[in-house]
Amino acid sequence: MALSLVLFGSHAAFAATPVIKIKIQDHLFFPEIIEIPAYTKVKLLINNLDPTAEEFESYELNREKIISGNRKAIIFIGPLPPGEYPFFGEFYPKTAQGKVVVVEQ
Amino acid sequence: MFLNSVILILQEILEAALLVSVLLVLSKHHGIKPIWLLPAIIIGVTGALIFAINMAQISEWFDYVGQEVMNAFMQLAILFFLSFLTALHPKNRWVSIFMLITTSLALTREGSEIFIYIGGVIGQAPYIQSTHIQPTLTGAGIGAGIGVSVGVLIYYGLLGLSSRYIVASSVLLLALVGGNMASQATLLLTQADWLPYSQILWNSSALLPENSIFGHLLYALVGYEATPSLFQVISYVCGILLVYLCWCFNLSRIDHQAKYKSPDINVHINI
Repeated sequence: MALSLVLFGSHAAFAATPVIKIKIQDHLFFPEIIEIPAYTKVKLLINNLDPTAEEFESYELNREKIISGNRKAIIFIGPLPPGEYPFFGEFYPKTAQGKVVVVEQ
Repeated sequence: MFLNSVILILQEILEAALLVSVLLVLSKHHGIKPIWLLPAIIIGVTGALIFAINMAQISEWFDYVGQEVMNAFMQLAILFFLSFLTALHPKNRWVSIFMLITTSLALTREGSEIFIYIGGVIGQAPYIQSTHIQPTLTGAGIGAGIGVSVGVLIYYGLLGLSSRYIVASSVLLLALVGGNMASQATLLLTQADWLPYSQILWNSSALLPENSIFGHLLYALVGYEATPSLFQVISYVCGILLVYLCWCFNLSRIDHQAKYKSPDINVHINI
């Protein structure tokens, strides 16, 4: 009984991981500002609509990942305390910029 | 595009340049012919090309985290082969082979990102003005030039030390490379959700931001992170310890052999 509760609990926690969709187009992130709940793990689903590769990078989030042209990628972030976490496209940093805003729910 | 290209390429080249220079110093110091270097470059560059060309497919493996898993796997392999070669007697023929494998893996990892970046800019030619291509390539050339120069400096700097410090300093640098590999692999596996989240231990971004020139340099050379997690710090320390302990094992064996003047270096000794 206890085991099934634990299993169910972990399954529920896994299923509850929120997914945030971001797209890259003309070396820009859409949306540029992403709001996520505090202290929650979040799955970023990034869809690169450009023919060129981009590298999602954030010093504040400690994340770095190449997303090939016309492909999708998944990056897990958090759980994070409230605050602002800028990110950018390392291959086109002048234009591809955005931030994750973590808010207390 | 120019400055961005310089920094990006420099960072990739530096990481590999440090490793290659230290391995070359150890080769020279122990009288090992650096015959491993050319095949390592050929295998590494070919590997980087294959990795870069197939990056889109690889990224979709393991439910879209193939890139993290493959990179972490290569980083852990570099750590283990570095440890093996530090544990071996310098005259053991496997030392050259492990140097070859380590360098090939490092070049594959670092080179693939360069190929993807440059390939992207060149492949974009039909869509943008070609004015972007020239500064990117010039920047890449300068970045690579600085990176290789730093490698040459490290090489001669280490060889300029007095003989008793050459090996100790080289092993210290290899240990830092090992710690860096372990920490980066941990970070990637956390990003892929293969490892659980662990708390951020400190924030030194006000003191030394990662996006400053010095921050970039330290990141490339010793894996500096302004906001490392608990698991990253633990794995960094474990990586350093692994290389260091392998060296200590080697030292104790060599001391033992020197004491008993054993002519056969491959003799099995019970310590």
